[in-house]
Amino acid sequence: MNDFSELEGELKKLRPRPVSPDLSARIEVGLAQTEAAGRGTATAGVLPKQRKFRLNWFALGLGLAAAATFLVLARVNVDRPSKSAGLALLTPAPITPAAKAVDSFVPAAMTQVVYDRKDEGLHFAEGQDEPMRRVRSRKRETVQWHNPQTGATLRVSYPKEEVTLSPVVGQ
Amino acid sequence: MEDVVTHEEDWKVCFAELGPGLVLFARQFVRSIADAEDIVQDAFVRFWRKQHSVTDRGLLYATVRSVALDLLRRDARRARREATASADMDQTTEPQFDFDDGSQRALAAAIDRLPVEQREVLVMKIWNELTFAEIASALTISQNTAASRYRYALAALKKNFVVHE
Repeated sequence: MNDFSELEGELKKLRPRPVSPDLSARIEVGLAQTEAAGRGTATAGVLPKQRKFRLNWFALGLGLAAAATFLVLARVNVDRPSKSAGLALLTPAPITPAAKAVDSFVPAAMTQVVYDRKDEGLHFAEGQDEPMRRVRSRKRETVQWHNPQTGATLRVSYPKEEVTLSPVVGQ
Repeated sequence: MEDVVTHEEDWKVCFAELGPGLVLFARQFVRSIADAEDIVQDAFVRFWRKQHSVTDRGLLYATVRSVALDLLRRDARRARREATASADMDQTTEPQFDFDDGSQRALAAAIDRLPVEQREVLVMKIWNELTFAEIASALTISQNTAASRYRYALAALKKNFVVHE
């Protein structure tokens, strides 16, 4: 057929050097490491590809972030009072006394700090024969309310002046 | 479990058939059997890992060639040494074949003197029995170019081999 057929025959008589025995073992280790890394079963196209479930961490993270955002927004919408009254809201639901009591502020504490007290001496009040001792006290009073349902706290602080008349016992 | 065993047998059967030819092919780029085996190991694992079809032999040899060229590029000193070795073909180069007689030794030496472009085509054609289409695919050249390089290689060998005979 061609001038090289004899030469090709001679070339084919040459035998490539055998592969060292440990090369196969090294490949086996390499493929095992591949499998351990989760990159798929070590197989070529001899067998059909196996469809393996692969966890897409990016998609998973994105999904969780979207779910969290949805929950936050849903919570905000629940807490926010509705501005538009739909047909369903025309008839308000009756408020039970228990519910009303729960969703309101109740007094929690009160403090009184007297920072000045002055004895203004004896005075004769109208219609009284006995003298009365008049004491003027200056205070700061703080009252605190607490809403058990929402956990909110309301504190009001104000100055207060108090005059006390006490009868004087004769000696 | 049975599948795993089957897969293991698959790659072993495949490698037993193709291994010597792959190492010989890789050997065209480096001057030692050890380096060639390293290349084949890396390439074969890569190829198998990506689950390519073993019937695509062009891709398998392209993978070996790619790994070999990467290895040469990675180490510039090594590349220079290999280039020098390719040019000079000194006697320290490990033989690629087992010889029965002096005639075969001379033929192997003549192969070593071929340009690498011709050698890689010759190796794929003679000892790996790839078609010119597969060779062209592996080397990303046309089939005509692959056939031409093969003919040039044979012509050069015939000339040198006759001289040594």
